Amino acid sequence: MTILNESGIPDVLPPLHAVNDLAQRLPDVLIVVAGTQAEAHLIQCLPSAPSPNLPPFRRNQRVIFAVLDPDDLPQQGLLASRIVERAAEHRGTELVLLVAGRAAESLGVDATFEARLVARKLDLPAEVVNPDATHEIPGVLSTDLEDHVLAALVNLCPKRKTSDLVETASPAKRGGLFGNFLRRGTETSDSNGGRPVVLLGGTLSPGADRGLAAELSRTGVDVVGSVPGSGIGKLPQLGEGTVVAVMDPNLASAATVAESRGATVVKTLMPVGVDGTARFVQDVAEEAGSRTSEVVRARSVWEDLGVLRNRIRGKRIFFTGDTGLEIPLARFLADAGAVVLEVGAPRLDRRFLAAELQALGPDVDVVVSPDYRGQTNRIDESRPDVVISSPGLHLPLVARGHLCRSPRDFISAGHYGYRGARRILELLVRTMERAETLDSLNL
Amino acid sequence: MKLLRGVYEGPQSYGIMRVAASIGGVHALLRAQPGEAYFRTLYGARERTGEMAPVTLSPMREGPDGSMAPGNLARDLSGVVRRHPKTEIVVLAHSEASLLSGETIPVTTLPEVEGTGRTPGLITFPWEGPGMREIEAAELALEDLIRARMNDRHERSPYPTVNLFGPPIFGPGAAAEYAEAERLLDMIGVEVNARVPLGANTGDLVRLPRAWANVLLYREVGESATLYLQDEFGMPRVTTPMIGAAGTGAVLRSVGELCQLDPKSVQRTIWAELARTAKLPWYARLEPPETFQDRRVAIFGDFTYPLGLGYALAREVGLDITACGTYLTHLERDFLFHTHTFTERAFVEDDPGEVAARIEAAKPDLVIGTHLEEGVAGSLGVPFLPLCPPVADRPFVERPLIGYAGSSVLADALENALRGKAAETPGEASIQWTDGALQEVSEVPLFLRGRARRLAEERARRLGSAEVTREIFLESRS
Repeated sequence: MTILNESGIPDVLPPLHAVNDLAQRLPDVLIVVAGTQAEAHLIQCLPSAPSPNLPPFRRNQRVIFAVLDPDDLPQQGLLASRIVERAAEHRGTELVLLVAGRAAESLGVDATFEARLVARKLDLPAEVVNPDATHEIPGVLSTDLEDHVLAALVNLCPKRKTSDLVETASPAKRGGLFGNFLRRGTETSDSNGGRPVVLLGGTLSPGADRGLAAELSRTGVDVVGSVPGSGIGKLPQLGEGTVVAVMDPNLASAATVAESRGATVVKTLMPVGVDGTARFVQDVAEEAGSRTSEVVRARSVWEDLGVLRNRIRGKRIFFTGDTGLEIPLARFLADAGAVVLEVGAPRLDRRFLAAELQALGPDVDVVVSPDYRGQTNRIDESRPDVVISSPGLHLPLVARGHLCRSPRDFISAGHYGYRGARRILELLVRTMERAETLDSLNL
Repeated sequence: MKLLRGVYEGPQSYGIMRVAASIGGVHALLRAQPGEAYFRTLYGARERTGEMAPVTLSPMREGPDGSMAPGNLARDLSGVVRRHPKTEIVVLAHSEASLLSGETIPVTTLPEVEGTGRTPGLITFPWEGPGMREIEAAELALEDLIRARMNDRHERSPYPTVNLFGPPIFGPGAAAEYAEAERLLDMIGVEVNARVPLGANTGDLVRLPRAWANVLLYREVGESATLYLQDEFGMPRVTTPMIGAAGTGAVLRSVGELCQLDPKSVQRTIWAELARTAKLPWYARLEPPETFQDRRVAIFGDFTYPLGLGYALAREVGLDITACGTYLTHLERDFLFHTHTFTERAFVEDDPGEVAARIEAAKPDLVIGTHLEEGVAGSLGVPFLPLCPPVADRPFVERPLIGYAGSSVLADALENALRGKAAETPGEASIQWTDGALQEVSEVPLFLRGRARRLAEERARRLGSAEVTREIFLESRS
């Protein structure tokens, strides 16, 4: 593996676009975006899960824009009182997320103060999310807002009490999403005194956490819940003694917040692909206090994938990079026999992704901060079989005759776990088959 | 500060880029935060041609600039010239964040295009400000672009020609609007000298004064540019919206007059088109008067479309325009002046929630608006026609709304919307509301209120109650 830095302008969708997706995923959250006309316009123009064809946009009633007028004098508390008035119209709100970035700050909005005021007046939690928050490592990923929102949700999780740490958690205390689900036949795990596990991620594939929880509970691990899970009221306890298993490679900030609360964040591969899932299950189980080996399982899954692998073998794949999800995908596809030409990484957190980078095959090039024009030229030169492209490059590349898929397609297909590994390969095979059918038409 | 459900317009940089991307040979450099650069993605998805948008980002970066990475404005400008050697004009736009940050970078001239000795023109806009909106900026940017290309040499074309000032890129059916206008002008014997801004190239901008007159299809964007051409070169303007059969006829007659054509031959063409293409007058005659009697329409949009549609629907079809509004606050006086010819209830408003309230108060049987009005039409349970920009859907086949062909498109849309929907029988509306129920309904968000009311009244009717009580209302909501 080689890492190059191109210092270019990567083709990345602005992180703010994710507001639509998040509002859909978190139905009991009221999202208020305080910022400029440009920010409101951007969220409105880029629909949820942007696909090259921009599907008809369903307006989400739980997204409200506070468009700040640069000519107005900043008035503290005004935003909060407007939010309080408006919140009355939205029944069942459990959390107010105030999205306020650099523009709001430069227009004199003290977002933290306003959020605190909202929280006090509504008697509801209110959190500030800064979409422009700088990371230690420069660069922007289109999924940054998702990361920051999950960080805010981790902060909202109830902390574990010290008494809980001492006594073994009794089944009665274990509510939450997976309580009933796990109690079936997992008496052993309850009695072995293992540490509780919280899954972090899977925001845009609801239900994915359930699949991984089932996988983990098979090994006797006690999954107490997940973030974002299925609602603000059902956030699991997270603090000292909790093991946090991160599902997505773009959640560095959320993981840091979990760590700062005293939880142990497992440093392992993401649960994408066969080996990724195997390592994930094994390492999380070990951290939680139960030993297991996934070698046999992984081998049998690889064998089951034989036919699909034959279709993928030798196919050349280019990742332009946009969501941060590309690295585990590239790792799996390289393992499955594909030739990964390049993986673009608008931002690469080498420390957080250490395990992933180590597992990446020797022939894979990672290009940090790639330039979209340079990438287009390289794609034209190397003519890959499939390009996993960012939304801005998708149409231009298709017009140049390349076969493209969006990284989002893998998320919506459900890419986690052993079953997800099959779905990833199936998706690629389907894409190539359809292209062949269309190419064979005599138009 | 208001909390809004949505915005009708983008920021000023978006308007500038819409104009720049419409004209061939123009490239825009956007000075912005990386998170504000969504134009390129939007261009790809909206246009669906596979072309890359002629827009480059110059990202604002903090700290000392030691690296060669993009972010240095002068270097990024030269980069545009180097990468796009065919560019004739480079336009520099600033995002809101860039304007708010107060960074002032003196802009130097552009380098030569390698090997040609030609230097592209650089246009900056000193009027850019953080509070400015898309349409106003688009209008001013178009004027500046034209001013920058003007020279003293100009000669009128030997035969009658006009310039079409229409909508910029992303306008619904924009290219089809120009094509329809061009078709009709061609029929009366007037050639189109240039389509501005969509479809023009930088050479066309130089040749604008050749034309005998300027026809404004979309006043929102062409107003200042055509006023400039009128002042500077004495070019007359035709400003009537070319919507509906009457509006189209008026425009064609005015153009005929300005181009000294034989009025009889113009009228013959108009009659021929009325017989062949224009179906709106035909539809209005075919339908029984009851279809339109006491049918109320609420229209909301930009400027040209609500005005043109309002006039056509009120005069040519005979519908009652009970609300007609625009979100273009800077055109307030003009809008109110013109709408008085067909409605008493004109308004100017840029908060979608307030617009929804106005439309609801107008008790319409049909709502014509932008994609943001779909919700209020749905909640009122009345048909909705998204005919005013901005709209969300982008069909592969564009259909015009102006001209005679456009009037037929309008007739089709009306027929679909109004067919089989008899006006409400008077007895049905007489359900009373108790104070308690009214109080409850006031807590429902504005844009859902119509639907909530309707459901509650239906429930009351089903229960045989003459009034909606608080209990009935709450039951209908659960």
